[in-house]
Parts: sequence; structure tokens; C-alpha cells
Amino acid sequence: MRPAHRWTAVAVGTALLVGIPLAVRARPAEDSGISAVDLLAKVEAGADHPYSGYVESLGTLQLPTADRFTDVGQLFGERTRMRVWWRSADAWRVDKLLTTGEQDLVHNAQGTTRWRYEQHDATLSRDPSIRLPRTADLVPPAVAKLLLDDVDASEVRRLPARRVAGVDAPGLRLQPAAPQSSIDHVDVWADPRSGVALRVEVVAKGATRPAFTTAFRQFDARTPPPSRTEFEPPAGAEYRFDDVLDIADAANQYAPILPPDVVAGLAESPQADGAVGVYGSGVTRLLAVPMRGREAGPLREQLLRTLGVRTVDSGTLVTLGPLGVLLTGTEGEGGWLIAGTVTPDTLTRAADDLFANTVYVSTR
Amino acid sequence: MIRLLGVELHQLVRSRRTWVTILLIDLLPTIVAVLLKLTDIGPRPGTGPAFLSAVLTDGTLFPLAAMAIVLPLFLPIAVAIQAGDAIAGEAEQGTLRYLLVRPVGRTRLLVAKLVSVIAFVLLTLAVVAVTAYVVGVLLLGTQRVAGATTTVSGTPLTQGELVTRTFLALAYALLCMLGVAAIALFLSTVVDTPLAAAMGTMAVLVGSTLLLTLDAADSIAAFLPTRYWLAFVDLFRDPILWRDVVRGTLLQGAYVLVFLGAGWANFATKDITR
Repeated sequence: MRPAHRWTAVAVGTALLVGIPLAVRARPAEDSGISAVDLLAKVEAGADHPYSGYVESLGTLQLPTADRFTDVGQLFGERTRMRVWWRSADAWRVDKLLTTGEQDLVHNAQGTTRWRYEQHDATLSRDPSIRLPRTADLVPPAVAKLLLDDVDASEVRRLPARRVAGVDAPGLRLQPAAPQSSIDHVDVWADPRSGVALRVEVVAKGATRPAFTTAFRQFDARTPPPSRTEFEPPAGAEYRFDDVLDIADAANQYAPILPPDVVAGLAESPQADGAVGVYGSGVTRLLAVPMRGREAGPLREQLLRTLGVRTVDSGTLVTLGPLGVLLTGTEGEGGWLIAGTVTPDTLTRAADDLFANTVYVSTR
Repeated sequence: MIRLLGVELHQLVRSRRTWVTILLIDLLPTIVAVLLKLTDIGPRPGTGPAFLSAVLTDGTLFPLAAMAIVLPLFLPIAVAIQAGDAIAGEAEQGTLRYLLVRPVGRTRLLVAKLVSVIAFVLLTLAVVAVTAYVVGVLLLGTQRVAGATTTVSGTPLTQGELVTRTFLALAYALLCMLGVAAIALFLSTVVDTPLAAAMGTMAVLVGSTLLLTLDAADSIAAFLPTRYWLAFVDLFRDPILWRDVVRGTLLQGAYVLVFLGAGWANFATKDITR
């Protein structure tokens, strides 16, 4: 064989090895031709459809890493790899995959168990209505359910289909009409058979790239076996019960106050049942958590170090993509942590309403 | 061909450098085990090599922790040096010309050198695994209950499953190192000094590792040689997550094919002056 032939053989082999996978990926997806309204209805109907798969989410929000919010910062500021098995809202499992182990959430009739491999511990907790976001909230069907809640048909339009996890998924764009929203649009691609959302992208106003993306890389619409949502703590592992899940749950249960029914023109959600206020719906939501001085202090310090921080009359304000965060009060004081996918103006109006209309109760 | 292979393997086993290299690689996990035993302080969650936190309660997992310790840096360096020396070393010593004067085809010589490198990696992995098992059990003990280890997903793993998955992980690590060997072997046919071939290989690996830390390099991440090296951890999830293991296998296979092909094309054509 002549030298040129040898090199040609190597070059052709390399081109095939690189080119074939790229060509397979580049094949255009087939579109079913479903209308935007029908697709929206299909996705809403598929919210409780069982599924399993492998999911990757990518957040670009550089949230403050204050002690009790580190997990939330990681969820929305980093890449998260997950495996999920969803039988129903009452039986599911989401594993957060790490190169050093796993941190898993298993939900069944007992409650929600968190398993941490490296710490070799399992914690059972109840499922409070008010809590901070966790990995199970990042899977595409959960994100779509939250963001497409209470959407008007006039706010959605069709997007071309896209291949997601091997499925030719028709797309939907939601452009919220609410003036308080900081989100420009949300794109959702769904499985045309089950209606399960396969990919969701959230783009902030004024941005061109998504601030948050979550997508299946492997997807199966069949019901996972019951064994996937059972969990028996391993022998030798520390096993305990937590009656308080996180800082939002603690404040909701024990802070002796009741927030107003409406702030910044947004009505309180029916899920709010304590001291923490949840307002708005769909893509226009905000959460108001009362904080004591010792909890607000470290968070305020972190916020003051965040790029683009502003000090306004009502407190410390940071805007991170579509997420606005306002911590009321000044150094040494407690205050309201108000966060949501709303404009800075909405946050400050919400702070004013909270100051004016919060009711203090004697005991909780 | 068999005779040529025999000569290469004989040289490998007789070489003092082979055993010194293996000893040095083996030393690091052994030091780690001793320190864990003395201090009883594991790595903070998310910071140390995989399985290192678990070995404090289950020493039988130490071969896996040892692999996670040596795989990212020490083993690739050793493989790059070994494979980089394969052709360039002969050229530097002036023996390549004489070697090829014998009725030995260049392609056969290249294959024999590759087999020798594979044998080196196998030998190293075996020594590291056996030493780590003995050191792990002796120093860290086994506090397992009912003979079961725990998968990273929190489910029990029988002794048989643990052994099978450990062998799968070792086979996967061998394949990853085969990719490194193919790159080094190719460079060894290009340059005349083993150091240049080894350094060139390390430059590729360091560059790949660096690019993997950048979100901006996402579009090419799946093609970078070190992308799936640590996917062997997925063999210890329940159920096994094959996705990255399969992708890593295909990727390393592609690197081996392309760089061995390039090494063959270059070496078969090259003028041998030394």
C-alpha cells in the first residue's frame, strides 16, 4: 500500500467515526402538526403520566451561597445530572448523580426520604406545602407543570419540533402577558404520545440565551416498577426523621405572622397556609419568607457581594437573569426574603405591601 | 509475531523501570489508606475521589477508591511514558533500525508494542487492585452487615455483584488507558524522543481535562478523551447507568482506531535513520 493510500484510509475512517454520529444527530425532527392549544392541553393532561429517564439541567444563575441556601444555589447555578422514576405524584424517585456518589429523593406512602451516599445517612421527612426548591423540581415535567399553570391559550404559540432523547417532540412557546413577569418566554417540547414535557428552556427578558434549561437525555413513557420507589435504609446507615425540611418550612410553621392576601397585585396561592407567602401563578410567582436577624445577616452579606447588587429603600436587591431577590431591612435586622420571577419594581412593591399589611399573631 | 510478542513482554517484565513505576503508582493509594486509618477523617462530601468516604466503613471498596485516585493523573502519566517510549525509545537508543533489519514487519512491531503497553496497564491495575484490597481489609476493615455492600443508590450489593462490577470497572479503566496508549504510540512514531511523545500525550490529556471545566466547550465535550473516564462510578449505581459507560467505551474505541491507524500510516511510511 502506498503512503498516500494509508493516510487516505485513516482520514476516511476518522471522518466516518466523527461524521456518522453528527449526521444522525442533525436529522430534522418530524412535526406532528398539532396546534398550540391542543399541545398545551396535551402537556397539561400529561402532567401526571408516569415516566422514567435520565435528565440534565443547566442553570446559569449565580445565586448567593449563604449557608441555608447553598443547595438552591447549586440547583440553579450549575449542571445537575439526575435519574428519575415517576409512577405518580405519590410514588417517585429522583437521584442526583455525582462523580463521588449520589443524593437521592424517594417519595412514597411513608413520606420523602433523602439518601446521601457519602454521608451514609437517610432522612425521612414529611412533604410540606411550602419549601425551598429541590432536585425533584428540576425534571422537565415538574418545571413545565409549574410554569404552565394557569396559562391563557392566547399566550402560547407553536415552535418547530425538536429531537429530544430520541423523541420527535413538538414545541410550544409561552410568552407571559403579566407585566410583573421577568420572563420573556418559556419553551417546552413534549412527547407527542404521553404529553410528558421533555425539554424546558426559560429565557429572561432582555436575554437571548436560556437562564435555565432542563431536558431528558433518555426517556421512557412506561410506568416504572414499584420497586424503584421503595427505599430501605442500608444496614449501618444513620436513619432519622426531620419534622422541619428547610428554612422556608421552618418559617412557615413557626414564625408568628400572617402575610397579606395580595402583594404587588399578585394574589396569594392556595398552597400558602402559614407565615410564608406564595403569590402569583405560572411564570409570574414570588415567595416571601420572614427571616430572623441571625438568618438574614449571612444572606445579606452574600447578597451585598453579588455582582449587580443594589441597595434600595426597602433593602438589598439583586437581579439574576429572570430571578429577582430582595432582602428587606438593614445590617443586624431580620426581614422578608422576597424572591421570584418578577421585575425589581414588583419586588419593591411586594415589600411595601408586606410591611403595611402583615398581621402579627401571638403564638403559632 | 508470537515470538516478537514474547520478546516484548519478556522485556517489559524484566525491566526495572516497569516495577519502579508500578510501585510508585501503588504507593499513593497505600499512603491514603494509612492516613485514613490513622486519622479516620474522610473527604468532605463532593470533594474527594469516588468511594473514598465509603472505605472508612467498608475496606473491600478500597480497590475502587484506589482506582479513582490513580486514574485521573498517575496512571495516564505512566501509560504515556510507557507508550511514548515504545518506538521513540528505540529510535533514541539507535536500536530501531537494527530491530527492523530483522524480518519484523513495522505493523507487527507496532502491534507488539501496543500489546506490551496493554500488559503494562493490566499489570499495574492488578497490582493496585490487589494491594488496595489487602490494605483496605487489613487497615480499614469490613463493617458490612449480612455480607452486603451498599451501592451508591443505597441498595444492597452482594459479594458476587461487587466482584463482577469491580472487574467491569477495571476493564473500563483498561480501555480508557488504551486510548491514552494509542495517542502516545502515535506520537512515538512522530518524534524521536520518548519524552516528547509522553509530554505531547499529557498535553492532550491536560487540555481535555481543562476544556471539560468550561460550559462554553459543551459542544465538543463528548469528543474529548477524558470526558467519560470516571463513568466507572456508574457501574455501582442501582440499576447500573450504562449511558456514559457505553459512550466512554465507544469514544475510547474511536481514539484507539484513529490514533493507531495514524501511527501505523506514519510508522509504515517513515524513513528510519536511527
